[in-house]
Amino acid sequence: MANAKPLATLRSATGIPTGRLAVWWVLASEVVIFGGLLGAYLMHRLGHPEWAEAAAHTNTWVGAFNTFVLLSSSFTAVLAHQAAEKGNGKEAAKLLGFTILGALTFLIVKSGEWTYEIMHGYTITANNFWSFYYTAAGLHALHVIAGAIIMGFVAVDAYRGRELHRVELIGIYWHFVDVVWIFLFPLLYIAK
Amino acid sequence: MSDHQDHHDGHQVNYKKIYFILLGLLVVSVAGPFLEILWVTLLTAFGIAIVKARLVINNFMHLKWEKRLVKWVLTTSLLLMGLMFAGVAPDVMNHEGNNWENLAAQAAVARGVAGEHEEEEAEDVVEVVVGFSAQSTFTVVCGACHGAAGDGTGAAAAALNPRPASFIDPVFWETRDRDRILTVIRDGAAAVGGSPLMVPWRASYDDEQIQALTDYVMSLRPNE
Repeated sequence: MANAKPLATLRSATGIPTGRLAVWWVLASEVVIFGGLLGAYLMHRLGHPEWAEAAAHTNTWVGAFNTFVLLSSSFTAVLAHQAAEKGNGKEAAKLLGFTILGALTFLIVKSGEWTYEIMHGYTITANNFWSFYYTAAGLHALHVIAGAIIMGFVAVDAYRGRELHRVELIGIYWHFVDVVWIFLFPLLYIAK
Repeated sequence: MSDHQDHHDGHQVNYKKIYFILLGLLVVSVAGPFLEILWVTLLTAFGIAIVKARLVINNFMHLKWEKRLVKWVLTTSLLLMGLMFAGVAPDVMNHEGNNWENLAAQAAVARGVAGEHEEEEAEDVVEVVVGFSAQSTFTVVCGACHGAAGDGTGAAAAALNPRPASFIDPVFWETRDRDRILTVIRDGAAAVGGSPLMVPWRASYDDEQIQALTDYVMSLRPNE
């Protein structure tokens, strides 16, 4: 089957492996998506002093815990990349497993947090702050879910010693999801 | 494999060290607001976010060692984001300009700031009453159309048809009494057959506040 690989995955006009270049292009479009959303949030937050009142109800400790979880999952993702570079697929798969655990922890904490907030009346239609809160954090959570699923496939392949270069590719995506959260955390949880 | 091994063999990152620095920065960004100094909070929140993001992008994503093409692509995206912000932010962040006024945003700010007082001081009912001032609400909210002095020459007045009422015009008062003013503020002018541009305010203000606003409008009546 090795010969059946598409030419595009073998050829590289830029000197950058094609898969990795593709991931960077995905991230370039993600920068515009999240950048547009966070930029819109920021300009409204600055133009509406009354948002500070709504923002005061987000829980900094929950946000900080989830930041810790994502930073740790990024750490295990980069260690997985390191293991894959040494050709150790089993170790890479194990480390990707830890990263997926981090993703699940993040999502469980987030659903508990949202349940609490929604039960206290802070719904997506409560006011513009909460609309942005659920849209931005929700879009981010969708990226966490997608990343965790893809990472599952990559980890299974890596365990069998196949397609080890993909460990780096999913890692780059995962670190980007982490970086988005690094900005969401102060925007939604700290600046009150 | 070999292609990116060539690429990365030249550098060794101490990932554990980077990770612990990131955790340390997280602690600082959470601790910052406890000092309750605005610029410290902003610095520890957003300054540290930028430092953390740089550490992750350079050391975990290895952008530092990536070919320039990738940096150009990402920079283009960031510039587009900046362009969007610069183009839109002036209209969103300001609520009035030379020839325009965003009444909905002004009303939202006025409502929100009034609501803020209510929430913070809910235990002390007297404070809530103090927090609402009929005169300042009239100036900010009603004044947008009726003018701060109530003479019907607010910034938005020229664009409205029919023109907003002038409360200093004796002719206006020939056909108005306190009940009617209260009804119009509460239920909108359409409720008494007037212009729908005078919207109902009962969702924004409680009965007591509408009474106070009515008294304020009554006080503008000439010869009284």
